[in-house]
Amino acid sequence: MGDKSLKEQSMENTDVNQDELILQQQRRIEKEISESIALVGEKESLKSLEQEYAKDDIYLSKAKVLAQKYSYIRRTRPDGNCFFRAFSYAYLEKLIGNKEEYDKFRDLALKSKDNLVALGFPQFTVEDFHDTFMEVIDKVGGDTESSHMELHKLFNEQGYSDYVVVYLRLITSGQLQRDADFYQHFIEGDRTITEFCHQEVEPMYKESDHIHIIAMSSALGTGVRVRYMDRGAGTEVTAHDFPEGAIPSVHLLYRPGHYDILYP
Amino acid sequence: MSTPARRRLMRDFKRLQEDPPTGVSGAPTDNNIMIWNAVIFGPHDTPFEDGTFKLTIEFTEEYPNKPPTVRFVSKMFHPNVYADGGICLDILQNRWSPTYDVSAILTSIQSLLSDPNPNSPANSMAAQLYKENRREYEKRVKACVEQSFVD
Repeated sequence: MGDKSLKEQSMENTDVNQDELILQQQRRIEKEISESIALVGEKESLKSLEQEYAKDDIYLSKAKVLAQKYSYIRRTRPDGNCFFRAFSYAYLEKLIGNKEEYDKFRDLALKSKDNLVALGFPQFTVEDFHDTFMEVIDKVGGDTESSHMELHKLFNEQGYSDYVVVYLRLITSGQLQRDADFYQHFIEGDRTITEFCHQEVEPMYKESDHIHIIAMSSALGTGVRVRYMDRGAGTEVTAHDFPEGAIPSVHLLYRPGHYDILYP
Repeated sequence: MSTPARRRLMRDFKRLQEDPPTGVSGAPTDNNIMIWNAVIFGPHDTPFEDGTFKLTIEFTEEYPNKPPTVRFVSKMFHPNVYADGGICLDILQNRWSPTYDVSAILTSIQSLLSDPNPNSPANSMAAQLYKENRREYEKRVKACVEQSFVD
Protein backbone atom coordinates (compact mmCIF):
# COMPACT_ATOMS: atom_id res chain seq x y z
CA MET A 1 0.00 0.00 0.00
CA GLY A 2 1.38 3.40 -1.03
CA ASP A 3 1.85 6.43 1.16
CA LYS A 4 -0.68 8.45 -0.78
CA SER A 5 -3.70 6.29 -0.10
CA LEU A 6 -2.70 6.21 3.55
CA LYS A 7 -2.83 9.94 3.86
CA GLU A 8 -6.19 10.04 2.16
CA GLN A 9 -7.64 7.82 4.81
CA SER A 10 -8.86 9.42 7.98
CA MET A 11 -6.14 9.72 10.59
CA GLU A 12 -8.66 8.95 13.30
CA ASN A 13 -9.67 5.49 14.35
CA THR A 14 -13.36 5.34 13.53
CA ASP A 15 -14.03 1.64 14.07
CA VAL A 16 -17.10 1.07 16.19
CA ASN A 17 -16.64 -0.86 19.40
CA GLN A 18 -18.89 -3.76 18.37
CA ASP A 19 -17.96 -5.89 21.36
CA GLU A 20 -19.39 -3.31 23.67
CA LEU A 21 -22.68 -3.08 21.75
CA ILE A 22 -23.12 -6.84 21.80
CA LEU A 23 -22.31 -6.96 25.51
CA GLN A 24 -24.85 -4.24 26.24
CA GLN A 25 -27.61 -6.13 24.50
CA GLN A 26 -26.62 -9.34 26.25
CA ARG A 27 -26.79 -7.57 29.63
CA ARG A 28 -30.30 -6.31 28.90
CA ILE A 29 -31.53 -9.83 28.12
CA GLU A 30 -29.84 -11.26 31.21
CA LYS A 31 -31.42 -8.59 33.38
CA GLU A 32 -34.90 -9.46 32.12
CA ILE A 33 -34.37 -13.14 32.89
CA SER A 34 -32.87 -12.53 36.32
CA GLU A 35 -35.76 -10.31 37.33
CA SER A 36 -38.39 -12.91 36.42
CA ILE A 37 -36.93 -16.33 37.35
CA ALA A 38 -35.36 -17.37 40.69
CA LEU A 39 -31.87 -18.92 40.60
CA VAL A 40 -33.43 -22.05 42.06
CA GLY A 41 -37.20 -22.28 42.45
CA GLU A 42 -39.50 -24.18 44.80
CA LYS A 43 -40.41 -27.83 44.31
CA GLU A 44 -43.43 -28.07 42.01
CA SER A 45 -45.65 -30.94 41.04
CA LEU A 46 -44.93 -32.35 37.60
CA LYS A 47 -48.47 -31.29 36.73
CA SER A 48 -47.05 -27.81 36.24
CA LEU A 49 -45.12 -29.13 33.28
CA GLU A 50 -48.29 -30.54 31.73
CA GLN A 51 -50.00 -27.18 32.19
CA GLU A 52 -47.07 -25.46 30.55
CA TYR A 53 -47.56 -27.61 27.44
CA ALA A 54 -51.36 -27.73 27.42
CA LYS A 55 -51.37 -26.55 23.81
CA ASP A 56 -48.39 -28.52 22.58
CA ASP A 57 -49.26 -32.15 21.81
CA ILE A 58 -45.75 -33.53 21.44
CA TYR A 59 -44.44 -32.01 24.66
CA LEU A 60 -47.67 -32.71 26.50
CA SER A 61 -47.51 -36.44 25.80
CA LYS A 62 -43.89 -36.50 26.94
CA ALA A 63 -44.72 -34.54 30.08
CA LYS A 64 -47.31 -37.21 30.90
CA VAL A 65 -44.79 -40.00 30.42
CA LEU A 66 -42.36 -38.13 32.65
CA ALA A 67 -45.05 -37.79 35.32
CA GLN A 68 -45.23 -41.58 35.56
CA LYS A 69 -41.58 -41.71 36.54
CA TYR A 70 -41.17 -38.54 38.58
CA SER A 71 -43.28 -36.57 41.04
CA TYR A 72 -41.66 -33.17 41.31
CA ILE A 73 -39.64 -30.66 39.35
CA ARG A 74 -37.55 -27.77 40.61
CA ARG A 75 -36.78 -25.11 38.05
CA THR A 76 -33.54 -23.19 37.73
CA ARG A 77 -32.76 -19.89 36.04
CA PRO A 78 -31.79 -20.34 32.38
CA ASP A 79 -28.54 -18.39 32.49
CA GLY A 80 -26.12 -20.90 30.99
CA ASN A 81 -25.12 -22.06 34.48
CA CYS A 82 -28.23 -24.17 34.95
CA PHE A 83 -26.53 -27.56 34.70
CA PHE A 84 -23.97 -26.78 37.39
CA ARG A 85 -26.49 -24.97 39.57
CA ALA A 86 -29.16 -27.66 39.25
CA PHE A 87 -26.68 -30.45 39.86
CA SER A 88 -25.02 -28.91 42.92
CA TYR A 89 -28.34 -28.01 44.51
CA ALA A 90 -29.80 -31.47 43.94
CA TYR A 91 -26.65 -33.25 45.07
CA LEU A 92 -26.23 -31.26 48.28
CA GLU A 93 -29.93 -31.72 48.95
CA LYS A 94 -29.48 -35.46 48.62
CA LEU A 95 -26.44 -35.43 50.92
CA ILE A 96 -28.36 -33.73 53.72
CA GLY A 97 -29.95 -37.06 54.51
CA ASN A 98 -26.87 -39.21 53.94
CA LYS A 99 -24.09 -38.65 56.48
CA GLU A 100 -21.72 -41.20 55.00
CA GLU A 101 -21.83 -39.83 51.47
CA TYR A 102 -21.78 -36.28 52.79
CA ASP A 103 -18.54 -36.91 54.68
CA LYS A 104 -17.00 -38.55 51.64
CA PHE A 105 -17.95 -35.62 49.46
CA ARG A 106 -16.74 -33.06 52.00
CA ASP A 107 -13.39 -34.79 52.13
CA LEU A 108 -13.12 -34.86 48.33
CA ALA A 109 -14.09 -31.17 48.13
CA LEU A 110 -11.52 -30.27 50.79
CA LYS A 111 -8.69 -31.93 48.87
CA SER A 112 -9.80 -30.66 45.47
CA LYS A 113 -8.13 -27.25 45.83
CA ASP A 114 -4.63 -28.66 46.10
CA ASN A 115 -5.30 -30.85 43.06
CA LEU A 116 -6.33 -27.81 41.03
CA VAL A 117 -3.29 -25.82 42.15
CA ALA A 118 -1.08 -28.77 41.23
CA LEU A 119 -2.63 -28.70 37.75
CA GLY A 120 -1.53 -25.09 37.37
CA PHE A 121 -4.64 -23.15 38.42
CA PRO A 122 -3.74 -19.88 40.17
CA GLN A 123 -3.78 -20.54 43.91
CA PHE A 124 -4.76 -16.99 44.81
CA THR A 125 -8.07 -16.99 43.00
CA VAL A 126 -8.93 -20.70 43.31
CA GLU A 127 -8.65 -20.30 47.08
CA ASP A 128 -11.36 -17.64 47.08
CA PHE A 129 -13.89 -19.91 45.34
CA HIS A 130 -12.85 -22.95 47.34
CA ASP A 131 -13.39 -21.14 50.66
CA THR A 132 -16.95 -20.26 49.67
CA PHE A 133 -17.60 -23.75 48.30
CA MET A 134 -16.54 -25.29 51.63
CA GLU A 135 -18.57 -22.71 53.53
CA VAL A 136 -21.70 -23.77 51.66
CA ILE A 137 -20.99 -27.47 52.22
CA ASP A 138 -20.44 -26.87 55.94
CA LYS A 139 -23.59 -24.79 56.30
CA VAL A 140 -25.82 -27.54 54.93
CA GLY A 141 -24.05 -30.25 56.94
CA GLY A 142 -26.70 -31.06 59.54
CA ASP A 143 -29.35 -33.67 58.93
CA THR A 144 -32.20 -31.30 59.70
CA GLU A 145 -34.99 -29.31 58.15
CA SER A 146 -32.96 -26.13 58.66
CA SER A 147 -30.26 -27.50 56.34
CA HIS A 148 -32.82 -27.64 53.55
CA MET A 149 -33.85 -24.07 54.21
CA GLU A 150 -30.24 -22.93 54.40
CA LEU A 151 -29.45 -24.66 51.10
CA HIS A 152 -32.35 -22.94 49.38
CA LYS A 153 -31.38 -19.58 50.83
CA LEU A 154 -27.70 -19.87 49.87
CA PHE A 155 -28.49 -21.01 46.34
CA ASN A 156 -30.67 -17.99 45.79
CA GLU A 157 -27.99 -15.58 46.96
CA GLN A 158 -26.03 -14.71 43.85
CA GLY A 159 -22.73 -14.43 45.72
CA TYR A 160 -22.83 -17.96 47.15
CA SER A 161 -24.71 -19.56 44.30
CA ASP A 162 -22.40 -18.32 41.57
CA TYR A 163 -19.25 -19.15 43.53
CA VAL A 164 -20.44 -22.75 43.82
CA VAL A 165 -20.97 -22.80 40.05
CA VAL A 166 -17.53 -21.31 39.41
CA TYR A 167 -15.86 -23.86 41.62
CA LEU A 168 -17.64 -26.78 39.93
CA ARG A 169 -16.57 -25.36 36.58
CA LEU A 170 -12.96 -25.35 37.82
CA ILE A 171 -13.25 -28.94 39.05
CA THR A 172 -14.68 -29.91 35.66
CA SER A 173 -11.90 -28.11 33.83
CA GLY A 174 -9.34 -29.80 36.07
CA GLN A 175 -10.77 -33.24 35.31
CA LEU A 176 -10.78 -32.56 31.54
CA GLN A 177 -7.16 -31.45 31.65
CA ARG A 178 -6.05 -34.31 33.86
CA ASP A 179 -7.59 -36.85 31.45
CA ALA A 180 -6.92 -34.81 28.32
CA ASP A 181 -5.96 -37.89 26.27
CA PHE A 182 -9.42 -39.38 26.79
CA TYR A 183 -11.50 -36.22 26.42
CA GLN A 184 -9.62 -34.91 23.41
CA HIS A 185 -11.62 -37.27 21.16
CA PHE A 186 -14.86 -35.53 22.07
CA ILE A 187 -13.73 -32.05 21.15
CA GLU A 188 -14.86 -30.72 17.80
CA GLY A 189 -12.54 -28.71 15.62
CA ASP A 190 -8.83 -28.53 16.30
CA ARG A 191 -9.02 -27.02 19.74
CA THR A 192 -6.86 -28.45 22.51
CA ILE A 193 -8.48 -29.49 25.77
CA THR A 194 -6.95 -26.47 27.48
CA GLU A 195 -8.41 -24.13 24.88
CA PHE A 196 -11.78 -25.83 25.19
CA CYS A 197 -11.68 -25.39 28.97
CA HIS A 198 -10.82 -21.71 28.64
CA GLN A 199 -13.60 -21.11 26.13
CA GLU A 200 -16.41 -23.45 27.16
CA VAL A 201 -15.92 -24.64 30.72
CA GLU A 202 -14.38 -22.00 32.97
CA PRO A 203 -16.27 -18.89 31.81
CA MET A 204 -19.57 -18.40 33.61
CA TYR A 205 -22.81 -18.55 31.62
CA LYS A 206 -21.39 -21.03 29.08
CA GLU A 207 -23.80 -23.90 28.56
CA SER A 208 -22.88 -27.45 29.46
CA ASP A 209 -22.74 -30.38 27.11
CA HIS A 210 -22.23 -34.12 27.64
CA ILE A 211 -18.51 -33.66 28.02
CA HIS A 212 -18.98 -31.26 30.95
CA ILE A 213 -21.37 -33.66 32.65
CA ILE A 214 -19.12 -36.69 32.20
CA ALA A 215 -16.04 -34.86 33.45
CA MET A 216 -17.80 -33.32 36.45
CA SER A 217 -19.53 -36.48 37.58
CA SER A 218 -16.29 -38.46 37.19
CA ALA A 219 -14.40 -35.86 39.21
CA LEU A 220 -16.96 -36.01 42.02
CA GLY A 221 -17.36 -39.77 41.84
CA THR A 222 -21.11 -39.61 41.50
CA GLY A 223 -23.73 -40.30 38.84
CA VAL A 224 -26.24 -38.08 37.05
CA ARG A 225 -29.29 -39.22 35.09
CA VAL A 226 -30.47 -36.77 32.48
CA ARG A 227 -33.94 -37.11 30.96
CA TYR A 228 -34.15 -35.68 27.48
CA MET A 229 -37.33 -34.00 26.38
CA ASP A 230 -37.50 -32.56 22.89
CA ARG A 231 -39.57 -32.42 19.74
CA GLY A 232 -38.18 -35.73 18.49
CA ALA A 233 -40.40 -38.65 17.46
CA GLY A 234 -41.95 -41.02 20.00
CA THR A 235 -43.30 -40.43 23.47
CA GLU A 236 -40.26 -41.65 25.40
CA VAL A 237 -38.25 -39.26 27.56
CA THR A 238 -34.89 -40.87 27.00
CA ALA A 239 -32.57 -41.33 29.96
CA HIS A 240 -28.79 -40.97 29.82
CA ASP A 241 -26.60 -41.86 32.76
CA PHE A 242 -23.30 -40.09 33.29
CA PRO A 243 -20.79 -41.58 33.57
CA GLU A 244 -22.21 -44.60 31.78
CA GLY A 245 -23.33 -47.32 34.15
CA ALA A 246 -23.09 -45.17 37.28
CA ILE A 247 -25.90 -45.21 39.84
CA PRO A 248 -27.51 -41.79 39.55
CA SER A 249 -27.69 -39.67 42.69
CA VAL A 250 -29.21 -36.73 40.85
CA HIS A 251 -31.93 -36.63 38.18
CA LEU A 252 -32.14 -33.71 35.79
CA LEU A 253 -34.57 -32.81 33.05
CA TYR A 254 -33.06 -31.46 29.85
CA ARG A 255 -35.09 -29.44 27.43
CA PRO A 256 -33.10 -27.92 24.55
CA GLY A 257 -30.71 -25.46 26.15
CA HIS A 258 -31.83 -25.92 29.74
CA TYR A 259 -31.61 -28.19 32.82
CA ASP A 260 -34.05 -28.45 35.76
CA ILE A 261 -34.10 -30.83 38.73
CA LEU A 262 -36.38 -33.90 38.85
CA TYR A 263 -37.50 -35.86 41.91
CA PRO A 264 -38.76 -39.46 41.79
CA MET B 1 -21.06 -2.97 52.72
CA SER B 2 -19.12 -6.09 51.87
CA THR B 3 -20.18 -8.02 48.79
CA PRO B 4 -18.31 -10.87 47.09
CA ALA B 5 -17.10 -8.45 44.41
CA ARG B 6 -15.78 -5.91 46.92
CA ARG B 7 -14.21 -8.58 49.09
CA ARG B 8 -12.47 -10.04 46.09
CA LEU B 9 -11.26 -6.61 44.90
CA MET B 10 -9.66 -5.99 48.29
CA ARG B 11 -7.86 -9.30 47.89
CA ASP B 12 -6.79 -8.37 44.34
CA PHE B 13 -5.42 -5.05 45.59
CA LYS B 14 -3.56 -6.66 48.45
CA ARG B 15 -1.98 -9.17 46.09
CA LEU B 16 -1.02 -6.47 43.60
CA GLN B 17 0.81 -4.63 46.40
CA GLU B 18 2.49 -7.66 47.90
CA ASP B 19 3.47 -9.33 44.66
CA PRO B 20 3.52 -6.66 41.95
CA PRO B 21 4.13 -7.90 38.39
CA THR B 22 6.81 -6.04 36.44
CA GLY B 23 5.70 -3.10 34.38
CA VAL B 24 2.14 -2.69 35.61
CA SER B 25 0.51 -1.03 38.57
CA GLY B 26 -3.04 -0.36 39.69
CA ALA B 27 -5.08 0.82 42.64
CA PRO B 28 -8.71 1.57 43.47
CA THR B 29 -9.73 5.22 43.27
CA ASP B 30 -9.98 7.03 46.62
CA ASN B 31 -13.68 6.79 47.15
CA ASN B 32 -14.75 3.80 45.09
CA ILE B 33 -13.25 0.33 45.13
CA MET B 34 -15.26 -0.54 41.99
CA ILE B 35 -13.24 1.90 39.84
CA TRP B 36 -9.48 1.51 39.54
CA ASN B 37 -6.74 3.48 37.87
CA ALA B 38 -3.89 1.55 36.37
CA VAL B 39 -0.66 2.15 34.48
CA ILE B 40 1.05 -0.14 32.00
CA PHE B 41 4.62 0.61 31.07
CA GLY B 42 5.42 -0.06 27.42
CA PRO B 43 7.28 -3.39 27.19
CA HIS B 44 10.98 -3.36 26.28
CA ASP B 45 11.99 -4.05 22.70
CA THR B 46 8.61 -2.94 21.37
CA PRO B 47 7.65 0.42 19.86
CA PHE B 48 5.70 1.04 23.08
CA GLU B 49 8.92 1.05 25.15
CA ASP B 50 9.21 3.95 27.64
CA GLY B 51 5.50 4.80 27.34
CA THR B 52 3.42 5.09 30.51
CA PHE B 53 -0.12 4.26 29.49
CA LYS B 54 -2.96 5.02 31.83
CA LEU B 55 -6.11 2.91 32.03
CA THR B 56 -9.31 2.76 34.00
CA ILE B 57 -10.87 -0.49 35.14
CA GLU B 58 -14.56 -0.53 36.03
CA PHE B 59 -15.94 -3.49 37.95
CA THR B 60 -19.55 -4.47 38.55
CA GLU B 61 -20.96 -6.42 41.48
CA GLU B 62 -20.76 -9.46 39.20
CA TYR B 63 -16.96 -9.46 39.29
CA PRO B 64 -15.19 -11.93 39.21
CA ASN B 65 -17.95 -13.87 37.42
CA LYS B 66 -17.94 -11.23 34.72
CA PRO B 67 -14.93 -9.30 33.46
CA PRO B 68 -14.47 -5.61 34.24
CA THR B 69 -14.51 -2.94 31.54
CA VAL B 70 -10.96 -1.85 30.84
CA ARG B 71 -10.15 1.24 28.85
CA PHE B 72 -7.02 3.11 27.91
CA VAL B 73 -7.22 6.73 29.00
CA SER B 74 -3.95 7.55 27.27
CA LYS B 75 -4.18 7.87 23.52
CA MET B 76 -3.25 4.55 21.91
CA PHE B 77 -2.40 3.41 18.44
CA HIS B 78 -2.74 -0.35 18.48
CA PRO B 79 -4.57 -2.88 16.26
CA ASN B 80 -6.72 -4.10 19.17
CA VAL B 81 -7.57 -0.81 20.86
CA TYR B 82 -10.67 1.13 19.83
CA ALA B 83 -10.81 4.89 19.37
CA ASP B 84 -12.56 5.22 22.74
CA GLY B 85 -9.76 3.31 24.46
CA GLY B 86 -11.78 0.07 24.68
CA ILE B 87 -9.70 -3.08 24.31
CA CYS B 88 -10.46 -6.06 22.08
CA LEU B 89 -8.96 -8.91 24.05
CA ASP B 90 -10.57 -12.34 24.31
CA ILE B 91 -10.02 -12.75 28.03
CA LEU B 92 -11.94 -9.53 28.63
CA GLN B 93 -14.84 -10.86 26.60
CA ASN B 94 -15.84 -14.43 25.78
CA ARG B 95 -12.80 -16.14 27.27
CA TRP B 96 -12.97 -14.49 30.65
CA SER B 97 -12.35 -16.87 33.52
CA PRO B 98 -13.25 -16.03 37.14
CA THR B 99 -9.75 -17.21 38.04
CA TYR B 100 -8.24 -14.06 36.52
CA ASP B 101 -7.50 -11.19 38.87
CA VAL B 102 -6.44 -7.59 38.27
CA SER B 103 -2.83 -8.63 38.11
CA ALA B 104 -3.59 -11.18 35.37
CA ILE B 105 -5.68 -8.64 33.43
CA LEU B 106 -2.93 -6.03 33.41
CA THR B 107 -0.20 -8.45 32.42
CA SER B 108 -2.39 -9.79 29.59
CA ILE B 109 -2.92 -6.28 28.24
CA GLN B 110 0.80 -5.67 28.57
CA SER B 111 1.54 -8.70 26.39
CA LEU B 112 -1.10 -7.57 23.90
CA LEU B 113 1.08 -4.47 23.39
CA SER B 114 4.01 -6.71 22.45
CA ASP B 115 1.93 -9.11 20.35
CA PRO B 116 -0.98 -7.39 18.60
CA ASN B 117 -3.52 -9.57 16.84
CA PRO B 118 -4.07 -7.81 13.49
CA ASN B 119 -6.65 -10.41 12.44
CA SER B 120 -9.17 -9.17 14.95
CA PRO B 121 -8.77 -5.43 14.53
CA ALA B 122 -10.39 -2.75 16.68
CA ASN B 123 -8.41 -0.12 14.81
CA SER B 124 -8.25 -1.20 11.18
CA MET B 125 -5.70 1.48 10.27
CA ALA B 126 -3.31 0.26 12.97
CA ALA B 127 -3.88 -3.35 11.93
CA GLN B 128 -3.18 -2.59 8.29
CA LEU B 129 -0.03 -0.62 9.04
CA TYR B 130 1.14 -3.31 11.44
CA LYS B 131 0.88 -5.89 8.67
CA GLU B 132 1.97 -3.84 5.67
CA ASN B 133 4.03 -0.91 6.75
CA ARG B 134 5.72 -1.64 10.04
CA ARG B 135 7.85 1.49 9.91
CA GLU B 136 4.82 3.78 9.70
CA TYR B 137 3.12 1.75 12.44
CA GLU B 138 6.07 2.24 14.74
CA LYS B 139 6.14 5.94 13.98
CA ARG B 140 2.50 6.30 15.03
CA VAL B 141 3.08 4.27 18.16
CA LYS B 142 6.10 6.40 19.07
CA ALA B 143 3.88 9.47 18.83
CA CYS B 144 1.56 7.89 21.43
CA VAL B 145 4.54 7.08 23.64
CA GLU B 146 5.61 10.73 23.59
CA GLN B 147 2.04 11.84 24.19
CA SER B 148 1.89 9.54 27.22
CA PHE B 149 4.63 11.58 28.99
CA VAL B 150 2.51 14.71 28.74
CA ASP B 151 -0.83 13.26 29.89
